[in-house]
Amino acid sequence: MATAMTGRGMAFIRSIYGVLQSRLHALGAGPLQLSCLHTSTSLETKHWERNNLKVFPPQKPDEPRRPAEIYHSRRQIKYSKDKMWYLAQMIRGMSIDQAIAQLEFNDKKGARIMKEVLEEAQEMAVKNHNVEYKSNLYVAESNSGKGRYLKRIRYHGRGRFGIMEKVNCHYFVKLVEGSAPKVEEKTSFDQAKEYVENLKSRTIVHSL
Amino acid sequence: MATPMRRTLVALHRATCSSLKNADASLDLRHPLPLYLPVRTKKRYFIPPAVGTKGMKDINMEDKARKAGVAPRQQYFERPINIASTSGIFDPYIPPEGDARLSSLSKEGLKQRTEQIKQSASSQLAIRKIKEHDPQFSTKSFAQQAQEIFVEAHTALTQFNKEKLHSLLTERCYPEMTRGNRYKTIRWSFIESLEPPKVVHARCPDMISKGNLYGQVTVRMHSKQTLAIYDRFGRLMLGSEEQPKDVLEYLVIERHLMNPYGQWRLHGKIVPSWAPAKDPIHKTVMIPGPDLKPGEEFDPLTYEVPKPKAVQWSK
Repeated sequence: MATAMTGRGMAFIRSIYGVLQSRLHALGAGPLQLSCLHTSTSLETKHWERNNLKVFPPQKPDEPRRPAEIYHSRRQIKYSKDKMWYLAQMIRGMSIDQAIAQLEFNDKKGARIMKEVLEEAQEMAVKNHNVEYKSNLYVAESNSGKGRYLKRIRYHGRGRFGIMEKVNCHYFVKLVEGSAPKVEEKTSFDQAKEYVENLKSRTIVHSL
Repeated sequence: MATPMRRTLVALHRATCSSLKNADASLDLRHPLPLYLPVRTKKRYFIPPAVGTKGMKDINMEDKARKAGVAPRQQYFERPINIASTSGIFDPYIPPEGDARLSSLSKEGLKQRTEQIKQSASSQLAIRKIKEHDPQFSTKSFAQQAQEIFVEAHTALTQFNKEKLHSLLTERCYPEMTRGNRYKTIRWSFIESLEPPKVVHARCPDMISKGNLYGQVTVRMHSKQTLAIYDRFGRLMLGSEEQPKDVLEYLVIERHLMNPYGQWRLHGKIVPSWAPAKDPIHKTVMIPGPDLKPGEEFDPLTYEVPKPKAVQWSK
């Protein structure tokens, strides 16, 4: 696009730029104007990994032992984020052994990659984050996010074309030391009972 | 392709018109000029790989150039070297067995206590060389100075004061002391010194060229210290804060004698082969098992964990 500019256009822009530069220097932009600029580039920082660098102060002996948290991710996986989400949703709340077992026998492409990520995270936990037993971990958070896409042309008939997106995704996982929290399964009868009780406990406010 | 061009020109045109209209806009702070003009309105944060470069990763440009006859540019394999400190402990001091175990009242203890540096001739020679370059050096005051350097260095390590650490430790000692500590909290305190520190050994090696002298002095100190290391989450990994321990250490202090502004800095520690085993960490660690041939079975009852050889090493 830039290379398609004509010579005349370039000369015009160059002349304008010279004029503008002198104006801007004369202005001498103050600190107020600069502060309204958004300085941090949102597309390059990796926040998820930075959580691993957080250091907590030493605990007193009477405090309950703080469980270790390990954050791990893999970027630019050649897979769709929506398809990855189904697998991420599946392993939420599972213990790490159970999660790895489920992913090993899952037929999806993303499952193989997720298993590698979990194994890497487990190894990191034992080596770097002072986790005692590698099985004593569970998946606290598991998410997929959109990576950077590439655009290609998809050729249709009759000289038509469509823009094809080559999708990539990121996968984020947070492992916490300890046994997996048990989710109490509510039966449908209990849910119905609770609903009816809520209805019965309604009162009319500010009435006679 | 014409639309981005038009967009660019429009943006610039508008900017220039506005600037040309208000000739005094630069002075008027109520309507300042935009600080940044969108010249090309769509910034590419991600530059995709070009379409024709799909198989280009396997092509080796070096081989192609060599076949064509173009000689590659001369490669300079440079590596930075540090001349402010040596890379090891030369001719290390071998501490006698049972150094701090025997009391002064028994015969062997007395023999050890009265062991003077004068027995070792090379140490005396080294001390004389050091006194040539540093006239204020004396074995009596140096031992106390060495202990002060040690205490200061470890307090700086607990606070992780990088500048102070670099001034108190040599370049060889710094990574050894600080490796793995970045995301951990260390609590260390020096309670008291059980015996006055003593200079036991000295050497003056010269590196690379003949006159480039470094002085390495070994100081023996027996003291009470507490050490507690907490991991990233504040959980105790090693040691305890209340329980003090008696520690017998052989510190090596080094100085670049040729440098008139050289400082005596902690260079390392010597751990004797008869040193008692350290306390284990508060964690169970898996050790790799023996290599089994196919068909062999692992018998946990008769298997003995191999213990490392008792060798003196310098830390």
